[in-house]
Amino acid sequence: MTRILGRNGFALAILAVLLAANLMMNPARFHPAAWGTLLGMAAPLIGAALASTPVILAGRGGIDISVGPVMGLVGAVVIKLLFLGAGISSPFLLWPAALAIGAAIGAFNGFMAVVVRVQPIVATLGTYLILGGVTLTILPAPVGPAPDWLKAMAGGWSFLPLGLIALSWCALTRLPFHGQLMAVGSDDRAAYTAGVNVSLVRFLAYVLTGLLAGAAGMMLTALIGSADPKVGANYTLIAIAAVALGGVSLAGGRGGLLGAAIGAIDIFLLQSLLTTLNVSTYVLQVAYGAILVTAVVLIALQDRHAERSPA
Amino acid sequence: MPDMMNILDLTLKPGAAPFSTGLRAGEILGLAGLDGHGQEVFLRRLAGLERSAGGLEMQGRAINAARDAERNGVVYVPRDRRSTGIFPGLSILDNFAIATAGRDRRGVFISTRARRARYDRWKERLKIVAPSPEAPITALSGGNQQKVLLARALARDPKVLLLNDPTRGVDVATRHVLYDLFRDLAAEGMALVILSSEIEEILVLCDRVLVFRDHAMAAEMSGAAMQTGSVIAAMFGRAA
Repeated sequence: MTRILGRNGFALAILAVLLAANLMMNPARFHPAAWGTLLGMAAPLIGAALASTPVILAGRGGIDISVGPVMGLVGAVVIKLLFLGAGISSPFLLWPAALAIGAAIGAFNGFMAVVVRVQPIVATLGTYLILGGVTLTILPAPVGPAPDWLKAMAGGWSFLPLGLIALSWCALTRLPFHGQLMAVGSDDRAAYTAGVNVSLVRFLAYVLTGLLAGAAGMMLTALIGSADPKVGANYTLIAIAAVALGGVSLAGGRGGLLGAAIGAIDIFLLQSLLTTLNVSTYVLQVAYGAILVTAVVLIALQDRHAERSPA
Repeated sequence: MPDMMNILDLTLKPGAAPFSTGLRAGEILGLAGLDGHGQEVFLRRLAGLERSAGGLEMQGRAINAARDAERNGVVYVPRDRRSTGIFPGLSILDNFAIATAGRDRRGVFISTRARRARYDRWKERLKIVAPSPEAPITALSGGNQQKVLLARALARDPKVLLLNDPTRGVDVATRHVLYDLFRDLAAEGMALVILSSEIEEILVLCDRVLVFRDHAMAAEMSGAAMQTGSVIAAMFGRAA
């Protein structure tokens, strides 16, 4: 418990302050009855942050900047091709389709980064550009609407996809894979010597990231109630900021999905507060940057302190 | 005829002289040599971590890669604890279990209780002095970190245990615990290969010693022939 608090302490402190400020400035929007909608609004960013986390945990420069474009592509395929085109409307078909698209792209990224050994940032930049183009080819302009059940997932049912992800992650932390992922992220040579299949673990981390990006794409589609080829890509960088804010070390091996989610909620609350105060979006960008740098510096100082004191 | 490992015409470096030897079950084999004369390459070769010309087989099956070594129960314990051994971010328990994580499964999920029970057995056998198993591994002394690494390796039930300078930076009391452990393991039928920078250690512990010079086996001694003087002479390339 103290370990969870320790790594997420800073993000949790910001969360408390921002939540209090939001409650004071905008009581109507933050009324408990509106929490479902509120969570639905935060969900795409939370989803994108969760998706970015596994590859970062796997270490050695692991990063996936194609998370945003995957979200855009999932919306385009699910709404334009499957729902409006082929007339498929069942959540039990559309959700697996979204996850399969994500996992397939994750597997491709994993293949490029782990087997071909292109630096992850370059490999996923390639995917980022390809997917951006593919999405615009499928869907040159926004189209809608989304099925009603999906729109409900941005309202009262918004806890459902996030809750399922949380449950799956809890299960995952109790599988050998989680320990191996953290070990590979903290020291891949030691993990290799200890007999861990480093390449396989890293590859699976990319697939997991793709799966979560597929889910994040559905949450985004739910929120905007349609498919928009251009909004997805915006999530890539802000999601990485959320991950760093949530105490996940970009060097790998430290942190988890909980921290990433808290970091994403921090950014959402900050956005919400500054919008309430009618601050220009340009200032919003400055605020993101400033809070990110501060958080990363404080976490680094905390780590250094923890390494010095033997306990 | 060696019954554990068979090493045939192994060349540790292009141009170096090939050599052949073997390893028996229950044997403790020492590797000596001046730093960088090939004994470490040889040890890592046995673990499948280095490639070389020549053959290495274990009970009829070739070992050419780390995967082969793992499948055949050959386990390597590295020398440089800090850079290739411990995971500083993980707890003692996770550091112990990382190589054998699947064994703690009860059904689908890992049971922390099963893992602790497994760790406690090794903790007792290796006399690991540690606070709670949840503490970070960096809280332990060098000797105890080494014991956790040994426990991690032994948990894999090795048939051949390869130890790269296992007592480096380890206090005297711990050394004797480790020596007794190595002898017990050999008596149970495990084959041990120990690289040591201390000749005395090899002389007290090993049944046989290979002395390396210029990436080749310069001498092989056992029994009464194993003397400090002759080992040093072979290390420096002089006739004893």
